[in-house]
Amino acid sequence: MRTTAAAGIVFANSNDNLLRNLTSQRSMASVPFGARYRLIDFSLSNLVNAGIANIGIVTKENYRSLMDHVGSGVHWDLDRKNGGLRILPPYLANGIKRYSGTVDALHGAKDFIERCNCDYIVLCAADILANVDISALLKAHVETGADITTVYHTGMLPPNRDDAMIISLDENSRITSIEFDGVAGAVKSYGIGITVIARDLLSKLVNDAYENDLPSFNRNVLAVKVGQLKIFGFEHSGFVTLMNGTDSYYKASMALLDTDVRRQLFNSNRPIYTKTRDDMPTRYGTKANVSNCVIADGCVINGIVKNSILFRGVTVEKGAVVENCILMQETAVGANAQIDNVIADKNAVIGENMVLKGTNEKHFFIKKNQIV
Amino acid sequence: MKNKKCVAMLLAGGQGSRLGVLTSKIAKPAVPYGGKYRIIDFPLSNCANSGIDTVGILTQYKPLELNDYIGSGKPWDLDRLEGGVHILPPYQGQKGGNWYKGTANAIYQNLEFIERYDPEYVLILSGDHIYKMDYSKMINQHVEDGADCTIAVLEVTMEEASRFGIMNTKEDGTIYEFEEKPKQPKSNLASMGIYVFKWNKLKKYLVEDEADPNSSNDFGKNIIPNMLAAGEKLKVYRFNDYWKDVGTVDSLWEANLDLLNPNIDLNLSDSNWRIYSRTTGMPPQYVSQGAKVENSLVTDGCEIYGSLDYSVLFDNVTVEEGATVDYSLIMPGAVIRKGANVRYAIIAENADIGENADIGGDPAIVGTEDWGITVIGSNLKVGKNAKISANKMIVDNVDEGEKI
Repeated sequence: MRTTAAAGIVFANSNDNLLRNLTSQRSMASVPFGARYRLIDFSLSNLVNAGIANIGIVTKENYRSLMDHVGSGVHWDLDRKNGGLRILPPYLANGIKRYSGTVDALHGAKDFIERCNCDYIVLCAADILANVDISALLKAHVETGADITTVYHTGMLPPNRDDAMIISLDENSRITSIEFDGVAGAVKSYGIGITVIARDLLSKLVNDAYENDLPSFNRNVLAVKVGQLKIFGFEHSGFVTLMNGTDSYYKASMALLDTDVRRQLFNSNRPIYTKTRDDMPTRYGTKANVSNCVIADGCVINGIVKNSILFRGVTVEKGAVVENCILMQETAVGANAQIDNVIADKNAVIGENMVLKGTNEKHFFIKKNQIV
Repeated sequence: MKNKKCVAMLLAGGQGSRLGVLTSKIAKPAVPYGGKYRIIDFPLSNCANSGIDTVGILTQYKPLELNDYIGSGKPWDLDRLEGGVHILPPYQGQKGGNWYKGTANAIYQNLEFIERYDPEYVLILSGDHIYKMDYSKMINQHVEDGADCTIAVLEVTMEEASRFGIMNTKEDGTIYEFEEKPKQPKSNLASMGIYVFKWNKLKKYLVEDEADPNSSNDFGKNIIPNMLAAGEKLKVYRFNDYWKDVGTVDSLWEANLDLLNPNIDLNLSDSNWRIYSRTTGMPPQYVSQGAKVENSLVTDGCEIYGSLDYSVLFDNVTVEEGATVDYSLIMPGAVIRKGANVRYAIIAENADIGENADIGGDPAIVGTEDWGITVIGSNLKVGKNAKISANKMIVDNVDEGEKI
């Protein structure tokens, strides 16, 4: 199969409501993660690492920060004459409603789908965190002769994710049933929001569903047609998180402190690309004391930092103590401040001597640009 | 082709032989600096930040890595529809070809390149120095002075002056004499190797110089003295900020450690004057529990389990448990294995320092007579328990337990 035979569609606003704190001014796709990334970097890099260079990003709302981030796509090598990156915002016209589900979203992207000149389309939700081998997925899809192949993971079902497809498979990995509304914590095989499908079939299924006012591609199309179509599963056994609330965001972030998780998410054969900012390397001062932290470039650390994730340009002044925190881009922690279990959105300022303590159950959240 | 006011020509062909094993496989401008940069990032970023969008890069010695690094010029915003970055190696013409015989000859061989842009001014740069400079200010002064050539100079101490090319000037900054490494310097204005010329003047002198069979075809030795002798108007442009030649192992090491010194004014985090570099696809750095990181620069892809003090780590460096790194530069991809001790050393790209190896010496212990920076060449393997003393340049693998 030519590697260019597939195009990708990324849903930028998947489950925005589950990370309300972080998505009040941005889409799920542009939620900052892992010291130097946005969630969409994982989807885009997964696709690009499989040689897919024709990608549409379906947006619904709050997509300014996403557009800032992806730009022309150059950081993912997606500024191309053939294909490349396209943002597909909603358009309002007589009789066309703003997206209420994935069927509407895909219907809105029908020009992209029809013109992309590819045999297959890989659909990706932006609310997942995983480094998935999409070339292997495409290869399996072709070899099994499947109509549709969806990526699944076997493990505990995340909370708040009624939309996760719970699947049963036969010994050939063909999916025999798709259910929803699983009980959180139960061990199941569940879809992680990445599905490959022939382009013509996708067009047809989306058109039919749209005509019939069906909202969800997974729930109202795939689950219903599981007997008629050959739908296969492709297992991703590595690290995965389906975002399901601030708590899961925090846990997934802290999972990066585990070397094994970092190896699974950041693999030099399938690197995760992001927008570069040309920060200088991080500077550690004489009084710096850093332990078990993931840190981006451009930070200046003169205090104590433990078990934390520091994004680009964070400053920690002398005598400050930062523990169990996620501090996003340009957060400034003043001298002798003490913060624990804090999630600070971009450009937050924490004044000198300030004491802020969240708990492992309830993190103290500081909004973008907020001064404490 | 639209004409350009100023074209920059960057001399990047030098071997940098005084850097020894560090330039055995790469040209000097491609030598890593400051954790995530290469030396050439400085003149290229200065060009981009000064609004100069047409840069010819003259390459000759081991250009592969440098060519790769420069690519389309995108990281420096020098991938342009008109102009942009051009790599200019020596080439064959109808009557054969020549290597670049000297700095002036390198420019002479590329007259056609410059002519395509029909510039008023040409800026000559080199790829050997660490500094941030707004070239547009220098060009503006050159234009206001109506000079034929303007040479950037730095005030050095009188003791240092005999190591530099020295400009002897009148009060108004007009140069009346140029002395290369004078024993008895008359002035302390050292040439930084940065020149702005009126293009028509430079062209005339390049052509004349080429016709002289006895010339070394060098800017400092030939072009500048010839212009002075002919009474052309040469002026100095004074530069007062940080500038460092990184042509030797010691100066490269010092220039890196300068980044850790709060009293030295080389701010690489100024968002108005970014130093750009080509980096991509690396995860953030990880500092483990039990690690100790002080007075150091660390960048993407590094994993630190040991101790660092007064060191600069480049991308993808691993320092394993119990290893210590002091007063050292660890270049991209190098690994310092468990219990190894590295001090006063430069570990080049992808070198592998074995468990409990002991590299380099502390001047306080070794004594200044025998002391020097120890350099381990790129891709070399230093075996377990090997001991390499101060002031060594290692060019081959070192066996387990070997003492050098």
